[in-house]
Amino acid sequence: MSKTGWAWLWFGFLLALDIAIPWFVLTHVEKMSGAFLFWTVWVAVAIISAFVIFLRWKEARQ
Amino acid sequence: MSTTFWVWFGIAIYIAVGLVIAVMARRQLGAGVSEFFLANRRVGGFVSAGTYGATTYSAFMMVGLAGLTYLSGVGALGFELTYLCGMFMMVFFLPRYWLVGRKYGYVSPTELLSDRYQSKWVGATAAILALVFLVPYSAVQLMGVGYLMNGISQGAIPVVAGIIIAVFCAIAWSNIAGMRSVAWTDTFQALIMIVTSAAVLGVVVAALGGFGSFFSKLESAASGLLTVPTAKGAFKLNMFIGMSLPWLFFLISNPQVSQRLFIPKSVMAMKQMLGGFLVFGFIYTLISVLWGFSATLLVPGLVKPDLATPTLLSLPIIPMGLAIIVMIGITAAAISTIDSILLTLSSVWARDIHKGLINPKVSEARELRVGQWVIPIMAIIAFVFAWWAAGKTGLAFMIAPLSSAASAGLLMAVPTIFGAFFWKRATAPGAIVSCIVGAIVVLLFQVTGWKPLGWWPGTWGFIVCVILFIGVSLATKPPREKAEEFIGYLKEKLAEGKFI
Repeated sequence: MSKTGWAWLWFGFLLALDIAIPWFVLTHVEKMSGAFLFWTVWVAVAIISAFVIFLRWKEARQ
Repeated sequence: MSTTFWVWFGIAIYIAVGLVIAVMARRQLGAGVSEFFLANRRVGGFVSAGTYGATTYSAFMMVGLAGLTYLSGVGALGFELTYLCGMFMMVFFLPRYWLVGRKYGYVSPTELLSDRYQSKWVGATAAILALVFLVPYSAVQLMGVGYLMNGISQGAIPVVAGIIIAVFCAIAWSNIAGMRSVAWTDTFQALIMIVTSAAVLGVVVAALGGFGSFFSKLESAASGLLTVPTAKGAFKLNMFIGMSLPWLFFLISNPQVSQRLFIPKSVMAMKQMLGGFLVFGFIYTLISVLWGFSATLLVPGLVKPDLATPTLLSLPIIPMGLAIIVMIGITAAAISTIDSILLTLSSVWARDIHKGLINPKVSEARELRVGQWVIPIMAIIAFVFAWWAAGKTGLAFMIAPLSSAASAGLLMAVPTIFGAFFWKRATAPGAIVSCIVGAIVVLLFQVTGWKPLGWWPGTWGFIVCVILFIGVSLATKPPREKAEEFIGYLKEKLAEGKFI
């Protein structure tokens, strides 16, 4: 699979977690360490993933 | 002196500084449409990040998202962070928009669609979607400013006065030097937004005994708000998807933000824009949600959750000077979004409706004048909508759901945008039919309040839209030559710049 394909797959996986964990795993955890912490860490992972990809970009000839 | 005096004084200082920045930006203004609407594609990384952040984040955050958190708990955090996770797609779309913008000289994102699909009707359809659905989105910004000034002045400043001030600033800053004045004032406003919101949250958290005490109080006093769905049943999965789906694709569906993908002056500026925005967005989202949670502890039982922020700011624990500065920060957030929307709508009207459909031989100077006239007209329409909606109550008229509903209409352009970049078989009839029918479904469901099987209008509209886009495209003839040339160019340049 191409790098683009892997990146889309990773993004899809992150979105699946967005639903699966808060609604099916943490639904009874009434603490800040539940859904609040999950979403904070989850989006941090998404942001770091984006950094890993775009820091490799270089100037293209116009 | 009274609070009302200091509120007016703060607003006057803010407007004066904004006007000075806009006038300074005008000194660098050159001639032509690309210069006015895109600052000639020569914007540095810092200002690009500032204008992207200030355009994206609006009164919605510290008023609407805080109100939603107050009412519905942690699901509001998930909803907003789903948008930020969707920004991962910038690694695909930012270089693509930027490259083709430079190659073909596109001024508006809708012009890109017209050219790629070889049909002016595709751009015009997307332009009409933007003109229709960005009105409520602009209106909620105005409502936010109105509520805030009214709340902080304890009713001395009417809601409509706040709305008029916001309209005046938005018209002025978008007209003075186009994208250049908007981008510069946006960056100034982004700095105010982040600094003031962090400061006031710090004061509130300190008053609650620090973060540890704040969190334990939340867990004991508002534990029902820390799960999805909440104890009272808010943020069931269908509500979350209904609100988050339009937000997920906000980066391409909203032309006022996708137009900004044309403006960075270099790849380095693009990287700074994206990185700067992601960090800004992460911090600002957490601040807004924690602010909403602090309101649940300090001002429980409000009938109108969108008033959580103004009510909290009027508490004695917040020094009056800080409350006024925060009010200015939120006003800045709203105005920086409205002026960007007005500028984008004016470019969309001038390029895709006036030049595309009405007068294809129009001169560049005349096209620019037409665009500049659209700015006050759209502002007045948004003003009337805001005035009407501000008198309503209920979930549908809260800032966050109303914003999401507006983006649900814009969501109907998303399959067309994906097709332009990734699917050579996509056709103009597929794009037009899917946008129109999808938008009708969304409007119909929103107006009637009908939610079949409990799913929201945007969700149903999007399903219909995707099916129609694929089905009609497969049944009609694509612009093969243009598709090969457009996607082929991108393939070559993406490899050259190590983009993906």
